[in-house]
Amino acid sequence: MSSALWLAVLASALGTLLLRVVPLLWMQRRLARLHGKDGVEAMPRWLVLLGPMMIAAVLGVSLVPRDPDALAWAATAIGVLATLLVWRRTRSLGWPVAAGVAAYGVVVVLAGLG
Amino acid sequence: MSLQATSTLARPWLTGMREAIPLLGGYVPVAVSFGLIAVQSGFGPWEATLISLLIYAGASQFLFVGMVAGGAPLWLVVAMTLLINVRHVVYAPNLAPMLGQSRRWPWLMHGLTDQVFAVALHRLPQLPEAQRPGWFTGAAGLAWVSWVAGTLLGAVAGDWLVSRWPLLGQVLPFALPALFLALLAPRFTSRRWSLALAVSIGVAMLCTLAGHANLGIPVAAACGALCFYAVRVPTPRQGGDDE
Repeated sequence: MSSALWLAVLASALGTLLLRVVPLLWMQRRLARLHGKDGVEAMPRWLVLLGPMMIAAVLGVSLVPRDPDALAWAATAIGVLATLLVWRRTRSLGWPVAAGVAAYGVVVVLAGLG
Repeated sequence: MSLQATSTLARPWLTGMREAIPLLGGYVPVAVSFGLIAVQSGFGPWEATLISLLIYAGASQFLFVGMVAGGAPLWLVVAMTLLINVRHVVYAPNLAPMLGQSRRWPWLMHGLTDQVFAVALHRLPQLPEAQRPGWFTGAAGLAWVSWVAGTLLGAVAGDWLVSRWPLLGQVLPFALPALFLALLAPRFTSRRWSLALAVSIGVAMLCTLAGHANLGIPVAAACGALCFYAVRVPTPRQGGDDE
């Protein structure tokens, strides 16, 4: 890689790190200023809301198959169903994920056999 | 993995690593793909690995190597990389009230990806404050190492892996949506929250189908938040649960 390209890598890395760190320092200062209130109270309300909404958005992006054909959509739907069913029973993180991936894999394998 | 409320852990970093294992199903195949594509775009295996080590933000790395390979001006490559990563600014403030005063936290933020944020937001409140840096170090550290190792693997042996086990590459990425689903499921506590989350998921899916996945994340989150404020669902007289 050329020096200019290395500089671009370093600038992107430093910029990304600052995007992650500076908001933390800002919020820590805000919390220190508002000591006495608990954490959630000290947070702007839009920020409390935006956290779960960002996770929902990332879920939406990751639900779309890389090659969105009928098989991939069917496997996704069954994987989602299996994940939710196991979550309802276990209320944990690991088992629902394992069940979802297994169900998704079974659909893909069965479709491959057919 | 089972999650007990305010559990005390003997080795929090080890628990963090164990609880980050579901992330690997999504990380490793994508990291292998990145390594493969970076090499195909003219980067060396070590260069691709260093990009993963230093930038550590999946979508923007694909854009970075793609734009460089396409001959885009480097200032534009950096600007676009940072633009995609702007969504990270809301993550740390959401976690800040749970983090305490450890001086390690600013450095640990390098590991604050979309997925690590989602797991940490769910898990940190259940741990005693003193154990949170250890838990986060284990969880974020494993995710980081898997991303970097996956990139190196993809750069060195990506072609061979994809041809040898095509099914793994096809199935494992479903671990990511499954994990997000399990993380979000407890948030569907009322019609107001459910509607707003469903809007966010739906808009993100539409943006992705239209080829704008990265732009879709902040746009979809904003739509979900607007929906939350705009829609007034009549609340039950007792135990108003729409907050």
